Amino acid sequence: MRFSKFLKVEADIVVARHALVMDETKSKAEPVIFLHPEFAKRSGVNDGDVVEVEANGRIVKLKVKLSDKAPESGGVIPNGIYASYLTNFDGFKRFKANIEVSEGELTSVEELLGKIKS
Amino acid sequence: MIMICPGCSCLCDDVYIKEGKVFNACRRGKEIFAKYNENRAVARVDGREVDVDTAIEKAVEILKEAKNPAIYGLDTTVVEAQKIAIDVAEKLNGYIDDNSSFCLGELVEAVLKGEMPTTTLDEVRDNAYVLVYWGTNPYHSLSRHLSKYTYYPRGKKRPRGYDEDRFLVVVDVRRSETAVLAKKNARFIRVDDDAELVDSFVKVVEGKAAKYAKDAGVIINEMKRADFNVIFGGLGLKYGLKDLNQFKEMVKKLNEVAPVYFIPAGFHGNMRGFNETLFERVGHVNKYSFRDGKSDEEFAFTELLKNEKIDAALIVGTDPVYSLPFEVSSKLGKINTIVVDPRMSFTARIADVVIPSAISGVEAGGTMVRSDGVRVKLEPLEEKEVNDVYILNKIKEGL
Amino acid sequence: MALNPMDIYKLLPKTNCKKCGEATCMSFAFKLLNREKKLEDCKPLYEDKKYERQRKKLEEMLKPLEEATETGLIVDESLCTGCGNCVVVCPVHVEKDPKGAAVGNGPTIDDPILRVEDGVVKVINMQACRRYGKNRVLCVVCRENCPSDAIRFLEG
Ligand code: SF4
Ligand code: SF4
Ligand code: SF4
Ligand code: SF4
Repeated sequence: MRFSKFLKVEADIVVARHALVMDETKSKAEPVIFLHPEFAKRSGVNDGDVVEVEANGRIVKLKVKLSDKAPESGGVIPNGIYASYLTNFDGFKRFKANIEVSEGELTSVEELLGKIKS
Repeated sequence: MIMICPGCSCLCDDVYIKEGKVFNACRRGKEIFAKYNENRAVARVDGREVDVDTAIEKAVEILKEAKNPAIYGLDTTVVEAQKIAIDVAEKLNGYIDDNSSFCLGELVEAVLKGEMPTTTLDEVRDNAYVLVYWGTNPYHSLSRHLSKYTYYPRGKKRPRGYDEDRFLVVVDVRRSETAVLAKKNARFIRVDDDAELVDSFVKVVEGKAAKYAKDAGVIINEMKRADFNVIFGGLGLKYGLKDLNQFKEMVKKLNEVAPVYFIPAGFHGNMRGFNETLFERVGHVNKYSFRDGKSDEEFAFTELLKNEKIDAALIVGTDPVYSLPFEVSSKLGKINTIVVDPRMSFTARIADVVIPSAISGVEAGGTMVRSDGVRVKLEPLEEKEVNDVYILNKIKEGL
Repeated sequence: MALNPMDIYKLLPKTNCKKCGEATCMSFAFKLLNREKKLEDCKPLYEDKKYERQRKKLEEMLKPLEEATETGLIVDESLCTGCGNCVVVCPVHVEKDPKGAAVGNGPTIDDPILRVEDGVVKVINMQACRRYGKNRVLCVVCRENCPSDAIRFLEG
């Protein structure tokens, strides 16, 4: 079921390294997006929400954390498989995405690996 | 025992381990040492576990049969292994590339070719006044850059604190953690289009009006007060500018009025090592084709994959499935892939052949090159026999 | 009694005259609480007779702040990346460890105040902190240079 009262909003996404969200052992990836508090407020998104992030026709579900270090018109997705899945080469570090509050499971790494392998 | 941390191109040289604790390394560095035994790769062929020799044999077979093989990665391994990897690429008459082709390779190349004046981080610590961080947030990517080398340490000619003896400039599209530090004697410039700021610096030197004339003017005046200033350029700069020549011109222009050096902000532990090693051999820093005898955009690993120009890839110590855009990484599933890595990386999990290796700096020694070009010798805690040098040598012999 | 900036603010002149170097009286109140400003920095409070009563009250109110015996330094390890900024800027380290922390390396003295261990900063020797003991000063240097607000002081 969808939350129909929430609208899709366009967000500026910056892809950047994040020292608190990384795994040097290359085993895990955290499905997280850091949204600017102002942007989140404007868009009706709360800390801890699950959001659908859509870009270039691909979708991932990420957990929202708020960070005032994020761009005011959107958020930061840490370097890694989730950001990589969404981007295209020409928008490798910065791209536009649609964000919508959602529910259910966060996108798993296995799901994305499956798409790459197939 | 004092160790070199291989975690990023800062290659910090004051890390030690005592009573099971890692001292002085940042969070990333600590993970490498403390978790060295987690998620280790196991030798595999087509998903079956095999012994290492069998995996190497299979790798040789794939490479021999390939019509268009590429070697990719190598930014976290030592120079000694990078050299052998280049031999392998030459023997195969194939392609070789690393992450720098979509990272800071172009900037390193400009430095190696002498197109921008450069210096070392030790010189920066002792002498630098204006420090410009452009399109990089070292707090997350090179955590100790400011504290160990640039803004915070006292230097010979900069004995007073950061708030008197340094002038910090941060250029970014957002107010990053590093930007937050730009308080007193400092400047944060938020840009949308990096080219406009580059242009403003040039115009201000020429005495003309420009969009960021005020900021650029203040910074240029500060630069004039010192005989040593430095710009650190990161990925944001590379992707923010369509044409890096503009930036090189700007650095030249600034040097008409004050000494300004350039150092690539940094990257994987030994990315610069790869650039320099390949540069010494063939005169190019990355995306090189031995068959064509030249370097070109179309030989970048990402382009080769996207355009389906290769049928096999030997991937060493890097994780393209994790880091490359889907349109590129999804093609990996369609070719023969061999992964050499200490960890069961994302790419290893979808690869045809996995060859487990040693962690450079922890289980294997050798040379790495810091972001500023300084060569550093790594001493392992314990020497593992099967390391990148061993594996790549075996492959080379097998061909 | 816990101090809060609102109570302080109520007793300030509330004219936002900026003479203290702050844009508003409210931000001055915050800085007072963080010991980054002294009450004397608010000139009108001392110069204008009509504020005398308020000033006396404020002086009374701020006393516990001056007398705090603990340095009150708190590190939130979940925010710390081990960047080492705090270790290197600390003026006590600079003085005592000229070959270590002062030049950007990990501390080489046995009893640094702060040290990065297992990737995050740990408080090792609180007693050496300038906020501690009889001759304390209201140092905030480490906190000011923490990019992720991982360092806080008890009072604010
Ligand atoms: S800054 Fe880089 S080299 Fe230094 S400890 Fe951290 S990861 Fe290691
Ligand atoms: S000087 Fe006093 S009255 Fe003026 S803003 Fe500061 S606190 Fe308020
Ligand atoms: S408050 Fe000052 S003296 Fe105390 S640890 Fe922080 S920087 Fe050092
Ligand atoms: S400055 Fe902040 S993030 Fe850096 S080591 Fe100190 S507490 Fe941790």
